[in-house]
Amino acid sequence: MKKQPDSTRRSFLKNGALLAAPLAAVAAPAAIIADDNLKTRLARLEDEAAIRELHQSWLRQINGAAVNAGATGAPRPLLSNSKGAAFDQLVRRIALDHTGEPDAIDLAADGKSATGRFHCAVEIETALPQDCTLAQMARAQGSGFLCRTERRVLQVAYVKVGGDWSIAKAELTPA
Amino acid sequence: MLGTPYPKEQMHRIAYTKLTEQQISDKLGKVSGPTSASPLSDVFVGKSIRIVTDNGPALAYTFSRTDRLSVAENGGSAVNAGYGALTLSNVAFFSHMIPGTQRGYTVAVDQGTNLATVFELWFSGYKDNREVQREIYYGYVEQAGQQPPAARHIPTNRVEGKGFYWKQDAGAETLEFFPSAAYSNFVELSRLGGELGFCAPSDYIKINEDRYIYTRTECEFSGTFTAYVMDLNRIEQVGVRLGFNADDALEYYVFHGKGEWLGQLAQFEKFGDEKGNPVPAAAPGQTPAKGARRVYRPFETMAKMTKAEVDAACAKRSVAFAPRTTGPAAGMGGNLGPNTDWLAGKTFTLRYDAAPAMEYRIDDAENLNWRKESDAAWTKARYQAWESAPGLILFGHLLEGAPNHDGHAIVVDFDQGLVTCFNGFLNTPYFANEAGVKILFGVIEMEGLIPPKYNRHKFTEEMLGRAVSQNYAPNLTSMHLYTTPHSLSWIIFTDTDAGGLQWSGPASYVKIRDGIYFMYWLEEACNGTLGTILVNLHTMRDVGVGYNCGPNGLGMSAVGAHERLAGQFDIRRFYQVKSSGGVV
Repeated sequence: MKKQPDSTRRSFLKNGALLAAPLAAVAAPAAIIADDNLKTRLARLEDEAAIRELHQSWLRQINGAAVNAGATGAPRPLLSNSKGAAFDQLVRRIALDHTGEPDAIDLAADGKSATGRFHCAVEIETALPQDCTLAQMARAQGSGFLCRTERRVLQVAYVKVGGDWSIAKAELTPA
Repeated sequence: MLGTPYPKEQMHRIAYTKLTEQQISDKLGKVSGPTSASPLSDVFVGKSIRIVTDNGPALAYTFSRTDRLSVAENGGSAVNAGYGALTLSNVAFFSHMIPGTQRGYTVAVDQGTNLATVFELWFSGYKDNREVQREIYYGYVEQAGQQPPAARHIPTNRVEGKGFYWKQDAGAETLEFFPSAAYSNFVELSRLGGELGFCAPSDYIKINEDRYIYTRTECEFSGTFTAYVMDLNRIEQVGVRLGFNADDALEYYVFHGKGEWLGQLAQFEKFGDEKGNPVPAAAPGQTPAKGARRVYRPFETMAKMTKAEVDAACAKRSVAFAPRTTGPAAGMGGNLGPNTDWLAGKTFTLRYDAAPAMEYRIDDAENLNWRKESDAAWTKARYQAWESAPGLILFGHLLEGAPNHDGHAIVVDFDQGLVTCFNGFLNTPYFANEAGVKILFGVIEMEGLIPPKYNRHKFTEEMLGRAVSQNYAPNLTSMHLYTTPHSLSWIIFTDTDAGGLQWSGPASYVKIRDGIYFMYWLEEACNGTLGTILVNLHTMRDVGVGYNCGPNGLGMSAVGAHERLAGQFDIRRFYQVKSSGGVV
């Protein structure tokens, strides 16, 4: 069986480190340090990638739920995820705010937690008070919410448990 | 002989009998099929057809006469039944019940395409047995040796915005408006005298670009079902009416009618959106029960209070213009704008022609003192005011101590020296918490202002037939349709801006200035609210005052909306008093 070429970033870095080893034979401590730095750097890149994937998946879940519930009838979802992150308002949709600052993910030194800051355009809905006929009728036909879009900063705290990242807390703050 | 076209009670006041299943069976058992004022069609006589529907029954018919058929459902035994058929161009329409049951079918067949729409109809399917239930099946007439057609009749919003006058072959005359894709609004000119319009859940089905099927079920009223095919160019209809009237007599007949096109209102869906059923019967992902439809049932859910309960609720809490929530949660006050202090510091008397004069001393933008002219003591009240046009002020306040817990919504025109007041009050005859209204015309007496001696604001029909949308806040948009001189209906838009649920109430319209109208409506047998708005067609903005009593007390609140004209039906001629009497 022919071995498939391993072209991942990890194999590239690993091979590069091995090829470099003879040239650095007289400077073993530096090579080891370099290798450790690369591993650390690699781990951080992988963590950041995992967090971004988690974050995107979470947003898809939120926005998808809003779309499905938006047609009629179903109760609107409170923004939350299975890991317990939730907001105190009904958030229908979160989209990137391209006019805001770049996203930032900061990993803790121990690699077990991280924070993220994402400038977003957030569609927030407020249930109409059911004290007027129009609101009652709107609710009867599956609507009954007022929507507005606001610029916010989504601040998320992530934790790594058992090798997997999850969202510990999510908060929307004024942009 | 003396006589008027008006009923003893309007539809929303009739206590329709809760018919038992046995009573319904007994009444259905006495008729063999629908009657007809027009000769029945022989289009099917001597023929056998089999109608196949998607997710519904297969119906094998054999028509022996113009009024007798046999039907076999899903390959079962054939049953003989009476029926009636009428045609409209190449659309054949027929209806029959299944003897010994409370159900039947009404069918529209396009003989050009062989497509068919089948309505299965039944009684005793809702807690109010008399309310006709319907399930709609789309299908085709089987043709030997041919593949089934791929096309179907489809639910549509293409009828939305239309309005017609109809005169049926048996003499019934109606105005019917379709400002919603889920509901409709009808005025019974001949049956009820045309004072009020009423609303009902409806289906709209496209046969082709010229012909459509319409249904309505008079839920919250008699429960009667009406369905017809209409040709929009010929302005003709063939249809069926099935149900029990106010005397509990069965009305089951097919009819042919001719009419007049009354106009077309704007639609607000995106261009290209022609979907029907904008208010699905079930939530996404859920399968609706057979016959399910979204029905607004305001009478069922309204609080029905006695005078003692009203007095207690008002004593517990009476609030005028509670501090407004800002932002989207302001609801119907979302586009209200700031109130004015225009009246602050002023002293004046509103001298009504047919009610005690009211004297006012206005402290500031939110506090006033009032007394009736003969009273010595002043009463403080919280109020708010809005200047709709220069010198034209709408303000409102509660009258603390009034035995019927009155509230005044007042338009004062300082340029003309005129005032009109909608005087809301409680302890009305049907439900004590349901608001009533007295309309007071008069003049402003004030230092430096000479009012007219004879001129007054006047009732007007200038708004009659118009439709005006009101956007109170994002996702809270409604539309008024001014259907009769004494009623209006309101339509709630869906998330896709299709017309959705709709309801109606008694109303009146007063002309204040050119293009500015003060109007009220009563949400009778609904939630009892007196709604008032001052509509300014120059600015396309309205401000208004609502007056409502419920278990939580008495409240007066403000509303404000940005408006759009949505069109106007040509209907004024149907309400003119004729020398021969009646309204038609």
